[in-house]
Amino acid sequence: MSITPEERLNVAMTINGRRYRAGVEARKTLADFIREDAQLPGTKLGCEHGVCGSCTVLLDDLPARSCLTLAVQAEGRQIRTVESLADGQELNTLQRAFREQHGLQCGFCTAGFLMTATALLEENPAPTREDIVETVSGSLCRCTGYETIVAAIEQAAADGAEGNDDAKDGAQ
Amino acid sequence: MKPPKFSYVAPTTLDDALKHLASDPDAKVLSGGQSLMPLLAMRLAAPSILVDLQHVPNLSDIEDRGDHIRIGARVTHREIERSALLADRLPILSAAASHIAHPQIRSRGTFGGSTAHADPSGEWPTILLALSATMQAVGPHGNRTIEADDFFVGPFTSTLRDDEILTHVSIPTTRTAWSFQEAAVKKGDYGLALIAATGTPRGGVLVDPRVTVGAAVGSVTRLVAVERILTDEPLTDELAEEAAVAAAESVKPISDIHGSSDYRRKLVASLVRRAVVELKNGA
Ligand SMILES: Cc1cc2nc3c(=O)[nH]c(=O)nc-3n(C[C@H](O)[C@H](O)[C@H](O)COP(=O)(O)OP(=O)(O)OC[C@H]3O[C@@H](n4cnc5c(N)ncnc54)[C@H](O)[C@@H]3O)c2cc1C
Ligand code: FES
Ligand code: FES
Repeated sequence: MSITPEERLNVAMTINGRRYRAGVEARKTLADFIREDAQLPGTKLGCEHGVCGSCTVLLDDLPARSCLTLAVQAEGRQIRTVESLADGQELNTLQRAFREQHGLQCGFCTAGFLMTATALLEENPAPTREDIVETVSGSLCRCTGYETIVAAIEQAAADGAEGNDDAKDGAQ
Repeated sequence: MKPPKFSYVAPTTLDDALKHLASDPDAKVLSGGQSLMPLLAMRLAAPSILVDLQHVPNLSDIEDRGDHIRIGARVTHREIERSALLADRLPILSAAASHIAHPQIRSRGTFGGSTAHADPSGEWPTILLALSATMQAVGPHGNRTIEADDFFVGPFTSTLRDDEILTHVSIPTTRTAWSFQEAAVKKGDYGLALIAATGTPRGGVLVDPRVTVGAAVGSVTRLVAVERILTDEPLTDELAEEAAVAAAESVKPISDIHGSSDYRRKLVASLVRRAVVELKNGA
């Protein structure tokens, strides 16, 4: 039944294998839910209207812009954020490749690129350079010039990165 | 950039969705949110309540119905891009899908959302007009079908009523000759000009060709002068040239920071030329 805008809606979802529940306004974005309610600040907000890709997370294993999704739309879903990648202090293969190839400078765009690349490598462990360029074309980076990001994803594919299957399994 | 306040419901039946939609003049349908959310963030839309279609059943299938394919409104761009059925039966859709935005948007944005939104730069509106598709809508007074020619009537304007939900789009599979051309600054960006051309090949000529333009114009439009040139004529390079000239003469392109009217006119002409050559090679 419909509610007045002031009322809060209960929403529950699984983020990185843990269940989160909160009463939120309908207008709250998934990005704000992740950052404020789940207190996972790794996901960054650049433009907040779908253009930059820095807020990309995995929603039921598919890449999605969390600023273009309402928290209430994610009710009951599985979310993965950049925090799911490392194992404690231990970076995963993709993150290590970003470090080694200088795939980041200021780092603001990085969470979005990492999650976009994670989705790509899970679907296609041996992407062509063209596949990689096509995939990252949905994200903006104002520092690196992209070449190092593409190189990092190429390296991760060569090193056999398959995203973070632990978090994926834990989330199911 | 935060959306204004609104209420939200996620009904589990089409009837309930229609009731909520009729409950308030400012109620709005929410599908993938990939056009609506930016509008809300920029405060260009102020709905009282969003009616989310994600749990409404039977809107997510791509069905082969012999002489046509029926696509549910909630089918995503990503699903179209990966559909083996469409690659086989309506390959123009498979070819165009990867031009729509980026993977993160194609996983959420829907065929019906894009069609209802009637964006003049939208790949689906441009192609549906060229394929002579039929939209199926349901409203408080029952079902209705709307031909593509009567559906896209202006920039971001369709003849869908505020209390109606687009449920399916039916696309004839008889137009086996096709070409889709897009000029964009980079792949995934909204195009500067889109051309879709289709027809039914018969004895070396095209029966009932349809050629449409998107992005370069204020709303998706047929290029009737070009269609006339292609009708029942053997497709040749000379005919392609003639079609390009006719396109440049008849199109009324927009001008904005992305490209002047003159520049877009030239783009339209060369895309039409390429489309006819492709039709020639494919027909
Ligand atoms: C950065 C970016 C780039 C993009 N680039 C492109 C591009 O190159 N080409 C392109 O075509 N699109 C592009 N898009 C838009 C994208 O394709 C959207 O998915 C699409 O336009 C709308 O579909 P949606 O499901 O997200 O609809 P929504 O955003 O949920 O809805 C859009 C509108 O349609 C109405 N609506 C939705 N579904 C129905 C229905 N079943 N019945 C009645 N009304 C309905 C809504 O009320 C709303 O007014 C881009 C978007 C972004 C953010
Ligand atoms: S913050 Fe979501 S796309 Fe820019
Ligand atoms: S590293 Fe600074 S924006 Fe990408």
